[in-house]
Amino acid sequence: MAPTGLLATLKRLFGSAPALSPEQEEELRRLHLERCHNFKLLLAANNRALEVMSDMEEALRGERAFGAGYVREACTRVASEVFAMVRGLTSLAPGRYDGLLPRFRAIQAEINTAVLAAPVPASGPLVRPLADLAAADLDQAGSKLANLGELARALGATIPRGFAVTAAGFARFMSHNDLQAEVDRRIQAADASRLDELYALSSSLQGFIASAPLPPDLEAAIREQAAALSAAAGEGLLLAVRSSAIGEDALGATFAGQYHTELGVEPDEAVQAYREVVAAKYGVTAMTYRLVRGIPDEAVPMCVGVMEMVDAAASGVAYSRDPMRPADGSGGRLLIEAVPGLPKAVVDGSAAVDRFLVDRDPLALARVEAARKEFRYAPSAGAGLDRIPLAPEEAGQPCLDEARVLAVARLALAAEQHFNGPQDLEWAFDPAGRLVLLQCRPLKEAAAEAAAAPPPGPANRDLPVLLAGGVAASPGAGAGEAFAARKDADALRFPPGGVLVVAQALPFWATLLSRAAAVVAERGSAAGHLANVAREYGVPALFGLPGALAGLEGAGLVTVDADGRRVLPGDATRDLPRRERPRNLMLGSPVLALLEGAARHIVPLTLLDPSAPDFAPEGCATLHDVTRYCHEKSVEEMFSQGADLPLPTHAAKRLSVDGRAMQYWVIDLGDGIAGQVEGKAVPLEQIASAPMLALWRGMTAAPWAGPPVDAKGFMSVLAGSASNPDLDPGAASAFAEKNYFMIASDFCSLQSRFGYHFSTVEALIGDEDAGNYLSFRFKGGAADHGRRTRRAEMIAELLEELGFRCETKADALFARMEGYGRQFMEERLAALGHVIVHTRQMDMAMADAAQAGAFKARLLTDITGRLGVRPGP
Amino acid sequence: MSESMKVLLIDDEDDFRELLGKRLVKRGLVVSTAASGQAGLDQAEGGDYDVVVLDVKMPGMDGLEVLRRLRKMVPDTEVILLTGHANMEVAVEGMDLGAFDYLMKPVAINELLYKIQDATARRRLRLGRPA
Repeated sequence: MAPTGLLATLKRLFGSAPALSPEQEEELRRLHLERCHNFKLLLAANNRALEVMSDMEEALRGERAFGAGYVREACTRVASEVFAMVRGLTSLAPGRYDGLLPRFRAIQAEINTAVLAAPVPASGPLVRPLADLAAADLDQAGSKLANLGELARALGATIPRGFAVTAAGFARFMSHNDLQAEVDRRIQAADASRLDELYALSSSLQGFIASAPLPPDLEAAIREQAAALSAAAGEGLLLAVRSSAIGEDALGATFAGQYHTELGVEPDEAVQAYREVVAAKYGVTAMTYRLVRGIPDEAVPMCVGVMEMVDAAASGVAYSRDPMRPADGSGGRLLIEAVPGLPKAVVDGSAAVDRFLVDRDPLALARVEAARKEFRYAPSAGAGLDRIPLAPEEAGQPCLDEARVLAVARLALAAEQHFNGPQDLEWAFDPAGRLVLLQCRPLKEAAAEAAAAPPPGPANRDLPVLLAGGVAASPGAGAGEAFAARKDADALRFPPGGVLVVAQALPFWATLLSRAAAVVAERGSAAGHLANVAREYGVPALFGLPGALAGLEGAGLVTVDADGRRVLPGDATRDLPRRERPRNLMLGSPVLALLEGAARHIVPLTLLDPSAPDFAPEGCATLHDVTRYCHEKSVEEMFSQGADLPLPTHAAKRLSVDGRAMQYWVIDLGDGIAGQVEGKAVPLEQIASAPMLALWRGMTAAPWAGPPVDAKGFMSVLAGSASNPDLDPGAASAFAEKNYFMIASDFCSLQSRFGYHFSTVEALIGDEDAGNYLSFRFKGGAADHGRRTRRAEMIAELLEELGFRCETKADALFARMEGYGRQFMEERLAALGHVIVHTRQMDMAMADAAQAGAFKARLLTDITGRLGVRPGP
Repeated sequence: MSESMKVLLIDDEDDFRELLGKRLVKRGLVVSTAASGQAGLDQAEGGDYDVVVLDVKMPGMDGLEVLRRLRKMVPDTEVILLTGHANMEVAVEGMDLGAFDYLMKPVAINELLYKIQDATARRRLRLGRPA
């Protein structure tokens, strides 16, 4: 590939010059470093873009509820990251990808049109009965109330009678008499950084809102609803009026405990209580919270729930998984905390409570920890709560019997199943003994760990298992003949309906998925390209399963149980429990339609084959395509241009080993050498570049036994005479063996000319597997074309056995590997070191395929034997 | 980083700005703050900042206008946009104007810190200074 733009200028400037000025040297060094950094930034943006896309996919399945705010935020994040990638690629290769930005713009415009079609939550009814709400109504009623309605509707759970004053109701209130404008004015005028002013502001705003008149239609709606409640419940009804904020899901922030609940409210006081709860939005704690986290005032509409207060016999909270021990081998017990009366002590932690631990499967009471309780709380008109002393014989008794504990546990489990994750419930038993659900929200901390818990499945625990572990990258189970694909060419032999087994979940394999029953990869994540396509096609996928290639090759018919994270022999699909597809909580909601409209231009991957003619900016239909394109091309540019850039050889230090000068020079890009270097040589001990050390180990582990060496020994080949002008790094000589390491602590590039072939190794190996890459380019030789080609092909075969992806074109070879962990990459780097040293002039001996095969076998033996490199990808 | 990263925070929300500033100082950054776009521009001139963290929505001169002027005035300084409003158009427009990235409030302090590090490294590499 010909260098363009900046690089061409550099070549013109520096390429032919016999010597560079120190300034030019420094400029070159800087360019190399900058290029490395830009590449790392691009890879990081790639990973984040894919994470957001897979999160959007999850949202599309409706396994959790979300609002319009989430859609806007996800689109914004993904657009920023993809833009950063486009820019990164453009700076790696100026002028070469000019078509990409217009394409990105066009896709972005389509997303924008879809997002602008956002439903306006401020429209719609001002009040809604709780029983009519569903999870998808969170933009109207806040997630707290929406969840309550959802469980009543979907599970038949008993919830308190009541209604929500919606976001539309709130908007109506705040626009009446320009209430919001006045609030904004007062906030603007105050100096909220001073605590005394903040208190004064808070108090003035709360007083202002608590006394503001309601618009007549809203007031009438609330009175009408409250009267209806009163009529249904009879004499003595008391209400609880509580906030239900919007925005918690979108902002990832929790407002728990920041707002206000009015208890013991008489029905005809509901309007005033509503005002008080809205006013609590401007409480000092809540305002400070928004200010320090930078959450705009208008992003938090206050929805309010007005519901009957249950005169509880006993009440409390339930965690569908013990938050302290989400997965302790028991599959996660349930934890229930309870008190006699209303749950005040449980919620605010102000007094001792009874604790019940419940086994999940089979459901059974495992442990009771009864506390000594002194009071119970009961509803009280005006004051909210009455504190009533408990009789001594009641104080030490558990407040729930086993039947009631199990009833609560069943409700918690049902809620967990319905909302596809652990839940935190508030509940009460009313005087008639009915279990009433008061609140339900996701238990966030536990969710992630629970997902990593050992697979459930009591019904089929005794099925034989071939392999177990990994992550379910695409759900379901599928059976077929196991087919281990090690190199690209294996794709042609893939049997339709087979189970594809690969080392790495590379996008390349996506072309086979439409014909596969399931896919297994030793490495890869649920957020990668291949996982995305597998989910789109509905092909079960199990990734991150070590030993899959060796364990499944030749295993015949197997079943991949992605949900159970295991592979079973034979066709076991009948024996597996039918997976209940998690219900889509957002089905039919305008917010889901909004996300679908936007995601259509973001999530699908249509650009699969980098060698296809439509693998071009014009072929990008979605942001995922742009991401894929940028990733592929940036790797290509990184590798190809690395070789094209001239080297800043002037600053090079000569490598010395045990006091002997080597024929290698080291260019430090920043942090590749430890300590100060005196003079012109750098001892090996001072090299602080892990990739260089790995490569060097491979180059020096075995003495070279190739044709042109005599008995003088191996080190004498590496060591050169200082008097030989060909070895002077500054001198341009066609025959010079000029070998340069360019290093940083996590980077190494070696350009070398061994005999008559030219090779480049580049490695970036850091703490993040996803950013790791290795590349190897090899070309040339002195023998005839046939022999040279045979050598390139032989090396490609060898490297493929070690897990590299290779391309050969005549006598040129290009091999690469990416995304593996540090140890694995360093082993492969050592193997490359061995290969570049031991293939020199081997082309001479490549008379036929048999000889090539023998060489390959010998190289592989040395690599596995002397270097301790495990074969296989 | 061989030398402390030098950052300017421009945000009209006093609480947010001061708290964020304190947290970044605790992590070893040299931090200055400005309460408006104009004050930020005055401070940025000749300040040799590695990174400006800029609020998009401010009374008076809005963030994108500040960004435009910063790019002209101190083109080497990287700008990270930070906003309470998820707006894709503004995000892309900002990045097109040369912003390093677009982050949304509330932002995790470490996420912001990593962005500042990446942006600083990019600037110093471009200028040929030790990163």
